[in-house]
Amino acid sequence: MTDGMDDRRSRLAATITRFVSDAQTKAARIAQLLPLAIQEKDAPQRDALLFEGERLAHGLAGAGGTMGFPGVSHAAVPVERFFLNLRGRANLADASIEAQGDLLVRALCGSVSGLDPAKPLERLLPAATSAGGVSPKSATRQDRGILLLEDDDAVAAEMAEQLEHFGYTVKVAKSLGEADALLKEFAPQAMIVDLGLPEGPMAGLEVSIRVPEHADTPFVVLSARGDLPARLAAVRAGAAAYFTKPVPVGSLLDALDSLIFREASESYRILIVDDDPLLAHCYADILNQAGMITQVVNEPLQVMEPVEEFRPDLILLDLHMPKCTGLELAAVLRQQDAYVGIPVVFLSTETSISGHLAAMTLGGDDFLMKPVQPDYLVTAVSARIARARVLRSMISRDSLTGLLNHTHIVDQLDMELSRAQRYNTPLAFVMIDIDYFKRVNDTYGHAAGDRVLQSLARLMRQRFRRSDYIGRYGGEEFAIILPQTDEIQALRLVDELRIAFMQIEHATDKANFRCTFSAGISTFPGYDDAHRLAEAADERLYAAKHAGRNRVFRAGDK
Amino acid sequence: MQKGDQDFMPGETLKRVLYIDDDPDIRTVARMALEMVGGLEVEDLGDGREAVTAARRFAPDLVLLDVMMPNIDGPGVLANLRAEADTASIPIVFMTAKAQAHEVSRYRDIGALDVVSKPFDPMSLADTVRAIWAKRHD
Repeated sequence: MTDGMDDRRSRLAATITRFVSDAQTKAARIAQLLPLAIQEKDAPQRDALLFEGERLAHGLAGAGGTMGFPGVSHAAVPVERFFLNLRGRANLADASIEAQGDLLVRALCGSVSGLDPAKPLERLLPAATSAGGVSPKSATRQDRGILLLEDDDAVAAEMAEQLEHFGYTVKVAKSLGEADALLKEFAPQAMIVDLGLPEGPMAGLEVSIRVPEHADTPFVVLSARGDLPARLAAVRAGAAAYFTKPVPVGSLLDALDSLIFREASESYRILIVDDDPLLAHCYADILNQAGMITQVVNEPLQVMEPVEEFRPDLILLDLHMPKCTGLELAAVLRQQDAYVGIPVVFLSTETSISGHLAAMTLGGDDFLMKPVQPDYLVTAVSARIARARVLRSMISRDSLTGLLNHTHIVDQLDMELSRAQRYNTPLAFVMIDIDYFKRVNDTYGHAAGDRVLQSLARLMRQRFRRSDYIGRYGGEEFAIILPQTDEIQALRLVDELRIAFMQIEHATDKANFRCTFSAGISTFPGYDDAHRLAEAADERLYAAKHAGRNRVFRAGDK
Repeated sequence: MQKGDQDFMPGETLKRVLYIDDDPDIRTVARMALEMVGGLEVEDLGDGREAVTAARRFAPDLVLLDVMMPNIDGPGVLANLRAEADTASIPIVFMTAKAQAHEVSRYRDIGALDVVSKPFDPMSLADTVRAIWAKRHD
């Protein structure tokens, strides 16, 4: 059997080595083909050259990732499409097209240079050497498991208890030494790390270095210190967040949730407005390869509908377009409150700074000079979107529960109702009010009351989809907008929520207690005005309370 | 339900896969991945024009094939397999780069069971194919 394995291993090694040298040859040929095609006057001959380039790039795109070199696939896809789109054009002698194509091809050549065939071999070896059914090396992480590295017993106990209320499994280590031992058997999904430990004032930062399997485990820092040197050290060590004590549990929970469920967070959406379809699709491909969702608009005068429908996180706008310039378009967007917060990045060939200054005043956030470097485009766009999302949620979210605040739920209801009317899809609106909430606050204190609100918020977030909107409407009142949901479906969902919530045991040092809620549902069609829809749900909620609480009422229920 | 010796109704467990792709390097890795990680019996082929002959000889439970190939493309191979009574009922799965939803629908409309994205991860290819196989009657 060893012979068989050695044979497979060497076959695999030979395959990868051959791929690497093939890839380099193909990339070099593609680099030749672009200028040849551009200079070729005879159309069929030019198309043949472009087709060759497209096929070579296609081959690299399809194989790179499989061979263990995903960078090659990422660089090859935009090149493939670029060649494909060039085939339609009568005239290729356009300086910006040449320059952009050149950049893409150089990125491709960069991706195939210096590839080490030994690296993917290690990862693929289980495939070559196992007798069948081997799962990859990464250990399965403890679901919602947290390592809390904190030497203060009281703080650790309190924090662990809080986190456990919210469904996390917490293990505490009081020193780096203890953490080392714990991490040998416990694979947390995230770590909370106190800066100062018995081993030293910044010892907490060393935890991810000391245990190599956990080098990638995200961690947040807690400290009584908030000075710049400490924060800088945390940044350098790769901390995902920094909290000064005493830590508001809500913020900590939000940070942990976003770290642990990072893959589930919504993909970035970019709207690309450029009258040149070739370049627009080129940027779209680059961004798609990086996992983003894009939409292209070639007609600047038709940009508003895609903005409303597609709801981009960022808009890439060509500065120079006939009919309507990028500047004018940005100004139009900024007139509308709903779009003031969307970052706008201009694609510019301008070299004069005064042109840029005007553009920034009129609503641009940044410039990218054409031709655009693929890496730079992806990074610039991602960074902007990440920050914009944080800002937006700070403005539109309730700080205790992380849900949308009243203003935004109301705005969102308007928008969703319009959309439902336009596409003739059903929409349900739900109002929820916790029963006897005042009694909870009076008996167990406001901290307990806050925790009840957070529990319900968390439960709702777990049970509803990304396309649903959940908001905190008032003190103990919540609202949910369910697009593409009819009354029967809404009733079922909310009733299941009611039953789940009713079973939660809320713990305090005095006693444990449970809570219930009442809810009212109204739907479109039925009400086609947002105001009346909200009123109807409110009336149903009131009726539910009157009928005895702990129930969900829809139209007609008594 | 039984037709005859030459007709194969795909068995309940996925055992045999015919893999068709013009890229020899991908064929090597895919074959290794399906055999070693997935424990499947694999036959691989570089030219889609030989698909019917190979299917007759190997009697696969499923055919996994690249869409873009020279000589004959994925849909072409599908048409050939469907045209012959003895290979017409073998489930076919296409492999192609980043398939958009409308493209996947189109491939399903012409008779493909599902679409696998390229580049694929060799460590999970077998699982992906098994999952598609498990849902073939849905």
